[in-house]
Amino acid sequence: MRPRSFEYHAASSLGEALNLLSKEEDTKILAGGQSLITLMKLRLATPASLVDINSILELNYIREEEGRIMIGALTRHDQLATSPLIRGKCLLLAEAADLIGDQQVRNRGTIGGSLAHADPSADLPAACTALNAEFKLTSKEGSRIVETQDFFVDFFTTSLRQREVIEEIRIPIPSPRSGGAYGKLTKGHNDFALVAVAAQCSLSLEGNCEAIGVVLGGVASKPTHATETEGKLLHECVDDRMIHESALKADAGLDPLPDPRGSSELKREMVRRLAENTLGIAFRRARRA
Amino acid sequence: MRGGLELANEVEVEVTVNGQPFKRRVQPRLLLVDFLRDELGLTGTHIGCDTGHCGACTVMLDGVTVKSCLLLAAQADGSEVQTIEGVSRREKLHPLQQAFLDHQGLQCGYCTPGMILSSLFLLNRNPNPSEDEVKRAIDGNLCRCTGYLGIVKAVRTAAATMSKEGSA
Repeated sequence: MRPRSFEYHAASSLGEALNLLSKEEDTKILAGGQSLITLMKLRLATPASLVDINSILELNYIREEEGRIMIGALTRHDQLATSPLIRGKCLLLAEAADLIGDQQVRNRGTIGGSLAHADPSADLPAACTALNAEFKLTSKEGSRIVETQDFFVDFFTTSLRQREVIEEIRIPIPSPRSGGAYGKLTKGHNDFALVAVAAQCSLSLEGNCEAIGVVLGGVASKPTHATETEGKLLHECVDDRMIHESALKADAGLDPLPDPRGSSELKREMVRRLAENTLGIAFRRARRA
Repeated sequence: MRGGLELANEVEVEVTVNGQPFKRRVQPRLLLVDFLRDELGLTGTHIGCDTGHCGACTVMLDGVTVKSCLLLAAQADGSEVQTIEGVSRREKLHPLQQAFLDHQGLQCGYCTPGMILSSLFLLNRNPNPSEDEVKRAIDGNLCRCTGYLGIVKAVRTAAATMSKEGSA
C-alpha cells in the first residue's frame, strides 16, 4: 500500500507555497498528512504533486489579538489541547482537539488540515462552528474571510478554492460568563465520532442565556446547528429541566445515514442524550465562570 | 529518466537518526517507515496495520511521537529521528525496556518498539503519570498479546526508576 508517484515540493514560506499552488494543476497541500497520506496510500487520492507546508513556521501560532484567538493553520492538535490560552478562554476547542485520534495523530495533525479535509465526523469543524470561528483563506490574489456556514459545503467538501490555503482560524473570545464543552460518542477506541456535540453558551449578568451554539457532528454532511435546541434556550434562565427538554429537540430535522455502527434512530437517540449531557456541562461551566 | 520509465522528482533527505547523520536521494512517495527499514536497515520499527491505526511504526520525530507510516521520508529532511534502536543507553537497556522485560510488558514483541517510544514521549512530558495517564498515552498503540496490564505496570515502574535516577 504505497502512494502513486507524485512531485514533492517543500515550501519554506506561505508566499512560496502560494506560488507553487498557482503554478501546478492537481496539487494538494500536505499539512499533517494524517488523512491525506492514508488516502494516497489507498489511492483514493492521487494528486500529481504535493506542496508540503510543514516547514512554514509562520503558520504555527496561537495568540490573542483584539478579543479574538488567532490560530495559524499549521497548529497541531496537541498544541490546541494543551495551550493555556485555549484551555482558559475556549475550553471547548481544547476538549475537541484532545479527543482527536491518539497522541501520535495529535502530535502531527493540524487544525487547517482537519478543516480543509471536512470529514463530517471530525471534531474541529464542529467545535469551530459552535465557537463562531472565521477562516482566513489566502491565495496569490489576496485573502478573504469566510464564516463556518459558508465554508463547510458537503461531505469532504468546502468552499476553499483550488489555489487557496487556509492561513488562519479566528475565534471570538466568548464573554467572561461563558462555558463550553465537547462531547463525543464512538463505537470503539480512538474512532471517529459516531455522534458529537459541541456546545457553547454565554450568560448575562442576570443569568439568562444570551448566546448559544449547539453544533452536531457525525450526523449530517457537515457540522449542523441544533437550531430548535438553541431556540429553546436563548434568552431563558436555563435550568436542568430546560436543558433536558431542549435536548429532546436536538435531532429535529436530522436524518443521519445508518451505517454498520448504528441505525439512524440509534444515532438520533445518541444526539438527544449527548446534547443533554454536553449542554449540562457547558452551562455549569458558564455559571461557575 | 531511468530505464525508460519516467520517475517523479527525487528529493534529497538529510536526516539524523539515533544521533547518526544520513543523506539519501529518495522518491517522494517513499514513506518514512520504509526509509528507516529498507534504506537504513533499521528494522526495529515495525509495520503493523499500515493504515495509521496500530502504532507499531511509532518513532520520535524532533522529540514528538509520530506514525512513520503516515509520513513521507522527504518530510524528515532536516529532522532528528529516534527509533527503538536509539533508545538503549549503549549496551544497557533503557529503564523502560528493562521494566517491560521485568513486568512481561510484551509477549510476541511486535508492538513493543512503538509502545516504548510512546511511553518515552509520555515520561518526557509527565515523569510521574497515573495509571489512567499511562493508558491514555498508549491508546494509539495496539497490543494483541498482553492485555496491556504488564505494559501499564512497566511504564509506571520505569517512571519511578527514572525519577530516582534523576534525583540521585
